[in-house]
Amino acid sequence: MTESYPSPAAPPSRRTALRAAGGGTLLLGLGLAGCRSAVSASESAEKGGAAEPRRGGTVSVAINSDFTPSLLFAQSGQSLQHRLVYNTLTRYDDELTPRPELATSWHYAEDGRSITLELRSGVTFHDGRPFTADDVIFAVKNLQNPARAAQLRATAGVITGFEKQGDHRLVLKLAHRVNNLFDLFEFMIITDRNSVEEALKGTRLNGTGPFRLTKWSPGSGLSFTRNDAYWQPGRPYLDAVEFRVIPQADALVSSLRTGQSQLTFQVPGRNLAVVKSSPGLTVTEYDTGGGAQYLGVNTTVAPLDDRTVRQALALAVDRDRILKQTLGGYGLASAAPWPKSSPAFTEAGRTHYGHDPAKARELLRSAGHTRLDLPLLHLGLPGDTAVAESLQYDLKQVGVHVTLRPTDPATAQKDLISQKMPALWTMSHGFAQVQPSTLAVSAYPFNEAKNTSKYRSAKYTRVVREAWTSPATGAAANALHREISDILLDEAFIIDLVIRGNVQVAAKDLHGVTLNKFAYLNLDNAYLAA
Amino acid sequence: MTAITLPAPGKPARRSPRHPYRAALASARGRVGLALVLPVVLAGVLAPLLAGHSPTDQSDLSLAAPGTPGHLLGTDDLGRDLLARLVYGIRADLGIIALAVPLGALLGCLFALLAATHPAVDTAVQRAFDLVLAFPGLILALAVTAILGPGRLPVVLVIALAEIPAFGRLLRTGILVEREREYATAARVGGASPARVLTRHILPNAVDPLVVQIAVSLTVAVFIEGAMSFLGVGVRPPQPTLGAVLSQSMPYLADAPHFAAGPLITVTALVLGLSLIAEALNREIRR
Repeated sequence: MTESYPSPAAPPSRRTALRAAGGGTLLLGLGLAGCRSAVSASESAEKGGAAEPRRGGTVSVAINSDFTPSLLFAQSGQSLQHRLVYNTLTRYDDELTPRPELATSWHYAEDGRSITLELRSGVTFHDGRPFTADDVIFAVKNLQNPARAAQLRATAGVITGFEKQGDHRLVLKLAHRVNNLFDLFEFMIITDRNSVEEALKGTRLNGTGPFRLTKWSPGSGLSFTRNDAYWQPGRPYLDAVEFRVIPQADALVSSLRTGQSQLTFQVPGRNLAVVKSSPGLTVTEYDTGGGAQYLGVNTTVAPLDDRTVRQALALAVDRDRILKQTLGGYGLASAAPWPKSSPAFTEAGRTHYGHDPAKARELLRSAGHTRLDLPLLHLGLPGDTAVAESLQYDLKQVGVHVTLRPTDPATAQKDLISQKMPALWTMSHGFAQVQPSTLAVSAYPFNEAKNTSKYRSAKYTRVVREAWTSPATGAAANALHREISDILLDEAFIIDLVIRGNVQVAAKDLHGVTLNKFAYLNLDNAYLAA
Repeated sequence: MTAITLPAPGKPARRSPRHPYRAALASARGRVGLALVLPVVLAGVLAPLLAGHSPTDQSDLSLAAPGTPGHLLGTDDLGRDLLARLVYGIRADLGIIALAVPLGALLGCLFALLAATHPAVDTAVQRAFDLVLAFPGLILALAVTAILGPGRLPVVLVIALAEIPAFGRLLRTGILVEREREYATAARVGGASPARVLTRHILPNAVDPLVVQIAVSLTVAVFIEGAMSFLGVGVRPPQPTLGAVLSQSMPYLADAPHFAAGPLITVTALVLGLSLIAEALNREIRR
């Protein structure tokens, strides 16, 4: 299989063309009128819809949590700055087709056990050092290092050998065929191998990206200036980018409404009504799904070791109400983890568990329970508390009395990774927005080898492994995706509630903003209209 | 030689303390204060009678406007009746401060009495008070909840802990002043033990300022409870408190201001009313 792309400007996909023809006004379901793919929005602008790109200016981005350099190589809650400073090898389009970034073309060997990458020449790091195949080798080995806590370490670990064919051609040898290698390439930032320790301390971020980090003020923000030697000619348009840390949602909204910030992705759904009524702001929902709110179940805690009880919980929750009342209607109520853009998405999976308290009670009775008392851990943030309260109420209706246990995000993340969650917890997970197999081999709640629910099954392992090592598309792939979905829905160790998209709030004069699948902010083509 | 008549043990040398209290509550400030505080207290006490719904029952009717049939004050984001959440929130707040402030006062007084027994103990107690006072109330709250986790007990402990130095220092000052008075000297000369002099003669004459402090502390307690719940480290949801309801209303201030109105007005009434009562008491006692 060979795929070659002559230039970084990707041709418009059929979907994009349809969107452009329709004026870029793709209305989403669930009453999300006015929300369209941010990708389509920016592309419309580039086609001459909004304004001519203008060079110069500074964009201020409001973020609700600070940059955490120690999580530079992990999927953290705040990865927006990654694509400003760094590049990745490839980037996905809306249909999960990889497009060139630092890799200009690639081809798999016939047996799928190696891939040859053609790397872009003439690319330099911010310190002037040329980018070569050695940097890719380092990037892969870096993610293989357990100390980096990268969720895609399993995929990086499949790369067992490197064969350099000059500075800009590299053959990656694989232990076995995998179908999510481009998830890794989308995720893996290419860092300067000589300054990685400084990068992990946040003192020096040296990449090939469109902006250079000039200052990080912990707790306050980050400052970036344009990389004049960027490999994309004429890009970026902006002179500088400022990240401002504003933890409180209300203050964050105020900073947007008063023009102190021009862009954010971190306005909670419940606060978006205020933003939508502001004349100078646009609210845009990415339709790819950035994460999903779920109810996690510890399958080693009785009686949750009984699948029937878990299924009862899945039937007891009112997903539509949670979406409407706690997330402002931004998202997709779904029993399965997949967003609509995922190859594994099916309407049947999404609606597999409707809100059916009567059936839930019946299942609980059949399992010998009329009343259960269980703890539910949740993040102590206002939005997460509202979700937990909704769950508590829904579960109470079927006889499951839940005691809420609020906790801070750092502790929750630690407990999630170390499998120390109580009987129930609610958080959000990622990784369903890329290849379906990635979810089951990389995300902590779903990992077939070691997940937070402590759910193990030979069948789950077999299906996941098969899906991971089979071609990503085709009838066989679809069948495997369905099989994974069926296991997840049937076993209900993770009860998905709502698929959440990334919601972008931007000043109306800011155009050309995009995100990659891992929520890395791409401002290559961003500009402020006159 | 002139005979000295000692005041009867337990009877203060000054006028009865009941008079200034009555006078304070009968003053204009006291009346306004009572008019603000009493309805709130009554609403809390009578919450089960006033609320037509459970404060935790949710519905599809989210952010309903005031006057919606069945929901006099409207509903919150999760479709819960705001009147029920308000009156039960008041009830929860009153329960907390009614426990925490007397606890803080009692412990503060005990420490003050302890401090009066020996200069070395006094120094130790004062430094302990300094240590507590060095932490702003919210930092103290976060530290306590970091150890105990959020909930009703940590809120009670934080308020009590924050109030101990205020009561302790006030009583200590009173004791230092009163024990130099003639009646105290006479009691000592008359053979009363130091403990008896302290508890039966000095203490009853030093408590007046504490009454004012209780009113002030109730105000502070409303603030602390509200702030802790607002920050998510107070009483656990879904139980309502004034601070928690206020915190939940923040995202909807523009679209549904009625959500925040109830707890805001109530906290304002409580704080203003208690402050006026405290001021009225202070004026009468010092007169």
